[in-house]
Amino acid sequence: MQFLKLLAQLAELDEQQLTATGPRRTALSRLGQAGAAVLPAALTALASPAAARDIKDTRTPLDVLTLALTLEYLENEFYSRALGLTPGGPANPTAFFVSAENKAAIETIQRHEQQHVTLLSRLIVDAGGTVPPAPRFDFTGSKNGAQAAVFADVYTNLDTFLQVAQLLEDAGVRAYKGQVEFIQSYDSLLEAALRTHSTEARHASHIRTMRRQRGANVKSWVSPSDTPITTAGSGPNKAYAGEENITQYVPTTTTIKRVPFEQGLPINVATPALSQSAILAKVAEAFDEPIDAATSVELAQLFIY
Amino acid sequence: MSESVPTTSFLERTIQRRSFFRVAGATAAASTLVLAGCVGSDDDNDETGPSVSTLRFTKDDLGVLNYAYLLEHLEAAFYQKVVDAFPSDFTADDRAAFVDLRDHEVIHREFLRYALGTNAFDNVVPIAFDFTSFNLTTRAGVYAAAQLLEDVGVGAYNGAGKLLTAPAYLKLVGKIASVESRHAAFVRDQAQPGSFAAADVVENTGTLAGLDTVKTPTQVAELIAKYVQATLIVTDLPTL
Repeated sequence: MQFLKLLAQLAELDEQQLTATGPRRTALSRLGQAGAAVLPAALTALASPAAARDIKDTRTPLDVLTLALTLEYLENEFYSRALGLTPGGPANPTAFFVSAENKAAIETIQRHEQQHVTLLSRLIVDAGGTVPPAPRFDFTGSKNGAQAAVFADVYTNLDTFLQVAQLLEDAGVRAYKGQVEFIQSYDSLLEAALRTHSTEARHASHIRTMRRQRGANVKSWVSPSDTPITTAGSGPNKAYAGEENITQYVPTTTTIKRVPFEQGLPINVATPALSQSAILAKVAEAFDEPIDAATSVELAQLFIY
Repeated sequence: MSESVPTTSFLERTIQRRSFFRVAGATAAASTLVLAGCVGSDDDNDETGPSVSTLRFTKDDLGVLNYAYLLEHLEAAFYQKVVDAFPSDFTADDRAAFVDLRDHEVIHREFLRYALGTNAFDNVVPIAFDFTSFNLTTRAGVYAAAQLLEDVGVGAYNGAGKLLTAPAYLKLVGKIASVESRHAAFVRDQAQPGSFAAADVVENTGTLAGLDTVKTPTQVAELIAKYVQATLIVTDLPTL
């Protein structure tokens, strides 16, 4: 359980909380959307600004790098197994991917994840840290048989595999997005994180395009109109909870303002104009939302034992 | 936050801290974008015409946000032009996607306009664009153009993050940036299947392997100059 302890430290939860069921969400994500630093007291009074600041202040670049490495280890192993580079994947990877084009795309993505592992490992060493070993993964979600599998046919059904891939890539984008504020003062690190985040978003887009070409109702960007691949309230659903957000705040020198997408902004330019719900769905699509470290860890935990 | 934690210099650039901005801010003449409309330029060799606006982006967050705002303006105008006259070989799926892309960019543009308020560069003189160098009458031409603009946008956002000082702005820009990366991958896949993260955008070798494209404001200004009917002065933007 060494890795669980490490993850718990990363997320500033104790191990018990990590392995316990049920949501343990603070208002941090909402604060994050609003920009905690500029929220007026009247708004933060409802939430938990002290807790939010505690977490903000104690996450170091090394914490950020180690969390990112965990996610990249996970993605790299997920694709490596599918491609037959490591054990545990499909009996015949070429047959599994159906087409050479599908397999080539996954090879491209796997190579990037491997490169991210290499990069993050080097950065951790450069920052004076020790590179943790990769955890043990079970991509069926059964924790090596300790519980019922969530994605039992992940390596025998390409559509299941692509669903998990989409979940991992979309969650990866959100996780990186949630960490950049902690490394804002470290310009080269910030740039590397943003560029990795961007690569992950390209992966996510492509996986979604692959799924759509195979008949799934899914856009290349996260949309409220996508047919969900997770069940509301479930652990995997944390990858998507909050993505439907349409409330954005912008700071001014003295206050913050909520952006009035629902009225006032000339964004409904279609002819004929879209319904209110349709244009607000576009607003949700136009912004990818972050997840915090705790949520990122909870999602990684689905596949770690 | 601590100013002394060492970190890597793997990007081969000395770690610059916010002190740069404090110095810069102290010397900046104004915090709002300067728009010198209709600067006479008919007696020089400016190829953009006898009367062009000059957009000078300032050395602060508002300058960086205006830079992002210009890019969203450009993309929104491009997609609107396509939506106004789809190429004859566009499929129903292509049309639906381009309506989405148009709407996203309009939303980004209006979001940034709202965030900038009176500091938005086009409060004084409207900006105009010129897409005549693109072939927008064929599906292939449209996707090639979209790919160019989206990849520039991705590189611009990846390079702009470190130029921002306010954490709230960094978070907001990050929410837009990954959507642009999704767009870029989508249009690339339509233009050339499987090219979503090809080596011309995502580094494939060396110490930066796996990292997506990054561009400085100067590089971006050069790439988009022919589409923007204004002279872009980005040299005042924060640099690192």
